[in-house]
Amino acid sequence: MGTLSKIAWRNVRRNKRRTFLSALVIAVGLGIYIMMNSVMSGMDRANIDNLIELSTSSIKITTQEYNDEKESLPLKYGITTPENVISYIKKQDRVTGVTPRTQFLGQLSNWEDTMPVMGQVINVETDRTVFDLEKYIDGDYFSDSKENEIILGKDLAEEMGVNIGDYITLYALTKYESRNADEFIVIGTLNTTDPNINSNVILISYETADEFLDLENLITEIDVAMERRVNYETFTQDVDKLAQHLKNKYPQLEIKTFMELASGFLKITEQKQFFGSILMLVILAIAAVGIFNSVLMSVYERIREIGVLRAQGMKRNEIIKLFLWEGIYIGLIGSFMGVILGCGVNIYLVIHGIPLEKFGKFSNVGIPYWGTLYGEWNIGAIVFAFIFGLIVALAASYIPSRMAAKLEVTKALRFV
Amino acid sequence: MPLLELQGVIKNYTKGDQIIPALRGIDLIIEKGDFLSIVGPSGSGKSTLLNIIGCIDTPTKGKVLYNGNDLTALSDKEKTYYRKENISFIFQSYNLIPVLTTRENVELPLIIEKKFTKKEIHEKAMKIIQIVGLADMADRFPRELSGGQEQRVAIARALVKNPLVVLADEPTANLDSEMSEDIISVMQKMNEERHTTFIFSTHDRLVEKHAKRVIILRDGKIAKDERKNNGNTE
Repeated sequence: MGTLSKIAWRNVRRNKRRTFLSALVIAVGLGIYIMMNSVMSGMDRANIDNLIELSTSSIKITTQEYNDEKESLPLKYGITTPENVISYIKKQDRVTGVTPRTQFLGQLSNWEDTMPVMGQVINVETDRTVFDLEKYIDGDYFSDSKENEIILGKDLAEEMGVNIGDYITLYALTKYESRNADEFIVIGTLNTTDPNINSNVILISYETADEFLDLENLITEIDVAMERRVNYETFTQDVDKLAQHLKNKYPQLEIKTFMELASGFLKITEQKQFFGSILMLVILAIAAVGIFNSVLMSVYERIREIGVLRAQGMKRNEIIKLFLWEGIYIGLIGSFMGVILGCGVNIYLVIHGIPLEKFGKFSNVGIPYWGTLYGEWNIGAIVFAFIFGLIVALAASYIPSRMAAKLEVTKALRFV
Repeated sequence: MPLLELQGVIKNYTKGDQIIPALRGIDLIIEKGDFLSIVGPSGSGKSTLLNIIGCIDTPTKGKVLYNGNDLTALSDKEKTYYRKENISFIFQSYNLIPVLTTRENVELPLIIEKKFTKKEIHEKAMKIIQIVGLADMADRFPRELSGGQEQRVAIARALVKNPLVVLADEPTANLDSEMSEDIISVMQKMNEERHTTFIFSTHDRLVEKHAKRVIILRDGKIAKDERKNNGNTE
């Protein structure tokens, strides 16, 4: 350890209380940042998982015409020879599941109220290889029964006042745009982490929909699930690569990755990260004032000492270094404490999470979410916070260090 | 060529609109190996004179030549270098670094010089600490020392780098007469063996007694400059 750093370290140790308070402000700033980053990453991860497992899948394939009119979920633009497309995609690397789906708009009636719904026609066998709805179902999944079976979003069922085993009427336009209505037995309710699904979606099987909607094997979309990687970036690269390959193979089809489908949400995610960083900057600016004050106090306490060192031939930049070392040590202690604090809270968040239900159902910015929100480990953010805390401490101690170096030797020696 | 030469040095301080003269035209030649004591009442300009010679203060007017080079024309960097290479200070109030031990305080000027290895620095420091009689207190911090012991550390710190000029402001003020004698004899030995120039500002009769030359300052002017030879004044 050099003499300058040794003197600085011993001074930092000598003023324990002041050092602790200055370091504490940094620690709190970094701790909040690490915690916020964890919660936000956890929220983003959960939202992305929700999107992929409940709505978009990894890659969604439709016809271009369907895509142009997708808001109305038309039943006239089916994919030609979907079996061939599905069979080809299944053979691709890292593909874990492929399933057809057909979406439609309908109305649900309990003879008193009528509610608009978004219908999902699913393949009972393959849907579970792509979407993860089954684990959210209260009641039963589709059976071989000849009855018309329907699964409703839980909130929708509550709104309509129906329970499992009750009958309900579904209205919809068939593929030939004729109005049809039929009675369905409610076999289950969907209680997912996405309130939109819970309050708007109904599921019926292709076996039922074939007759009800005159589908005649019409498939409007194919959903692809890909192996989830630990690293999100690697996963998106896999998805991009396969999507590009399929675009070349099937130029007549519209092939969209979940990143494209959820671009609005992903932009919001970036914005949230940006605002998180702004918040950390504000907290660390407060910490910087604390360190500035601490180093300035140290300079005033040691003016005579500075005079002696200068009289002995110590250069001005060495005096600056001496006080910068103090800032570095305060920053190191603060950053270390901050990382310990942040990681400590994070362990709890990762293991136990935050039960959002306790705060009532709500929507976060842009995408609905509820359930238990778990934290995420983000080593990059922790390293960034540590280095940033150090840089802030260094920057905050620079001005008082320069003041110390500029002192006139005789005045410093006379200072009482 | 003299080691140091002051030519018409005037130093004024300003306090508001008031100009306070500290030195009113000092002409002085100091030879290498001088053992010089500056005496005079408080406010006579003793400390100012030492500060100007030590290049930590600049004269309002006049020149200070060191080996023929004008110190007043030096930049701040050059003055720092001049102090590092040639000058050591002993302050009346010790001014030790409180967070460094006796040994570390004494090592500091050598570390600033950057000329020696760690081992050499350690050896040189321990040798001078032994000379000032603090070998068993080498690892103590200043707060653990008495006033006299602190001053001995300050003296050891000044002598360790074997400077050409030692500027000492009341160096024996806090020492008893026995320790003062010891310290003065160390300085005399350095003066005789290495021709180190000592310039004291002092009220101590003992220092005055051992000085080869005594300058009396009064109201910022040299009132008397007497050179002693074998105890007799010239």
